[in-house]
Amino acid sequence: MQPGRRRFCALVLFAVAAAFFIVAPAAAHAVLLESTPPLNSSVSGPNVPVKLRFNVRIDALRSRLTLLCPDGSAQALEISKETRADTLAAAATGLAAGAYRLRWQVLASDGHITRGEIPFTVTPS
Amino acid sequence: MARLLQVFGFLSVLFRGATLTFQSLAVGGIVFLIFIVRRSQEDSAQLQQACLRWIRRSALALAVMQISYVLANSLILRESAEMPLRQVLGANFVLAGLIGIVAAFTVVVLTVPMRSTGYAALLLPAAAIIASSVMTSHSMARLGYRAPLVAFTALHQAATATWLGGLPYLLIAIRRAQSPEFARQLGARFSQLALASVAVLASAGLLLSFAYVGSLQAVYGTSYGAMVATKVLLFVLLLFLGALNFQLVRRGPASSILASLKRFGEAEIGIGITVILTAASLTSLPPAADLARDRVSAREIFARMSPRAPRFASPTVQDLPEDIYAAQKKAFEVGSLSTESYVPGQTGTRLNTPAEKAWSEYNHHWAGIIVLSMGLLALLAQAGRFSWARNWPLAFFGLSAFLFLRSDPETWPLGPVGFWATLADPEILLHRFFALLVIALAVFEWRVQTGRVASGRARLVFPALIAVSGALLLTHSHSLGNLKEELLAELSHIPLAILAVTAGWSRWLELRLPSENQTRNIMGRLWPLCIALIGVVLLNYREM
Repeated sequence: MQPGRRRFCALVLFAVAAAFFIVAPAAAHAVLLESTPPLNSSVSGPNVPVKLRFNVRIDALRSRLTLLCPDGSAQALEISKETRADTLAAAATGLAAGAYRLRWQVLASDGHITRGEIPFTVTPS
Repeated sequence: MARLLQVFGFLSVLFRGATLTFQSLAVGGIVFLIFIVRRSQEDSAQLQQACLRWIRRSALALAVMQISYVLANSLILRESAEMPLRQVLGANFVLAGLIGIVAAFTVVVLTVPMRSTGYAALLLPAAAIIASSVMTSHSMARLGYRAPLVAFTALHQAATATWLGGLPYLLIAIRRAQSPEFARQLGARFSQLALASVAVLASAGLLLSFAYVGSLQAVYGTSYGAMVATKVLLFVLLLFLGALNFQLVRRGPASSILASLKRFGEAEIGIGITVILTAASLTSLPPAADLARDRVSAREIFARMSPRAPRFASPTVQDLPEDIYAAQKKAFEVGSLSTESYVPGQTGTRLNTPAEKAWSEYNHHWAGIIVLSMGLLALLAQAGRFSWARNWPLAFFGLSAFLFLRSDPETWPLGPVGFWATLADPEILLHRFFALLVIALAVFEWRVQTGRVASGRARLVFPALIAVSGALLLTHSHSLGNLKEELLAELSHIPLAILAVTAGWSRWLELRLPSENQTRNIMGRLWPLCIALIGVVLLNYREM
């Protein structure tokens, strides 16, 4: 390659690489449409049914639901296999009163991974 | 792993964009070879070999991109969900990726130089490449009308590959054709194929838009809708260039039109890749039809976009949060959670304070004045009456100094963070690097404008960088939800991106088209106008 051409290629590559690095990260496209318990809600315990509905088909086998308890511990919830293609369901049992966070991570059928959290409070029944 | 998590969202779009680009090049090349080159009457053995070489390179690059995507996505899934490898390997994206990788390597094997058999066998892996891509598209995850949406997506992608992916091969063919008349014949035949592809692409795209966007309000009220509208605008721009090409191959002696044909082809390829990158960013957004709440209304857009006097008074550094990045991280950690969804590694969003918004508006407005001045001076220079106006690229120095001073107010020289400490922060370092890049742009274009560089590829640095910047503005996407502030900001960035792409490629054409081509003069007026308009849009930028 001629020196002039090489310099030109180097500059363009340099610029493209730099421009790529200043691009903000993009996100995948499975979004939560509704949830039980709802966001920032109060529900009566000790048994709380969990149901999350998304805008797309979800690979339930490769998705995760985790409950973050008031004492800081984490409890993995078993995802039910008998739900619609866009829904994750589970049962959280024996919950004491307090502030919880339901952490979810889903793999959409098109290969995108998405996650989020739902804070809610359990009140004594 | 932590670093991979941080860049995961960005990597996904990068791999998707590269995969779509190389897929189009590989499949487009195969279609061009079989339906355009092979059916010609003249001996085209040399041309066939050149096409095969580029198909092979594209397929190899596609395989590398697919492997990278499958590895990165698998690693993230395995680590973030603590999933055994065997379970990861059963995921749909792994299967889709494997089909794509095997198909790409099959193309590589079938295009080795020693083979001289027919090329029809290449159509099977080409179809598998499209199928692999469709398996990771929106259509696969839809709840309703899945089968027709899969079919329309396949048609849309195949037609895109035939048209946009075939264009580079047309340029190769024109360059290598043994006679100008043969090149003109190839061009005419490709135009017919391109016309049919455009019809399929547009029809399938329209039907997909009905399913994914759904309403006119969703076009301007959601990120997805706005990006689809942008794709349509760029598509129209491509059609305009395609129409110019179409006219060229049907008139005049072949020898005089080939140079123009090649130059239009270059611009079409550039804009075509921009469209593909826009499509890649679309795949990372939820379809507009799924986001019925919190859409931006026409009234909100009008209120934000209606012209107002620019802001020439800036808040002081003391008015800003002490450390913007730390404040952002803290806001996420303390749980400013919403129903927003994130990709692993992505952080939450914090609403800017009024002082931050005013700081940003002030930045945009001064940048707008500088860019508007550059555009107007460039227009004067193009008119040829004011030779001093040719020094307009020197205004980039002002822009660079402005970027250096104002992009990171908490750092030296305005803020308390020292100069050397800023070198440890990649984000600040990149801003500083960008300021240097603007200086490089100023030097290159000033030398071109003042005649210090009369020929050669250095002249193309300015248009290439402007066009690439525009494409990258379109490539990044925003939140998964309908965060109104982000969407309103995005709606002001889209015109900037389209104007930058138009400015870059019109300047490219002005430099590259042969002097006898009349379109060259129009392009020479168009790019300074686009730059001036970028300045106007920046001057009216609002965050509140």
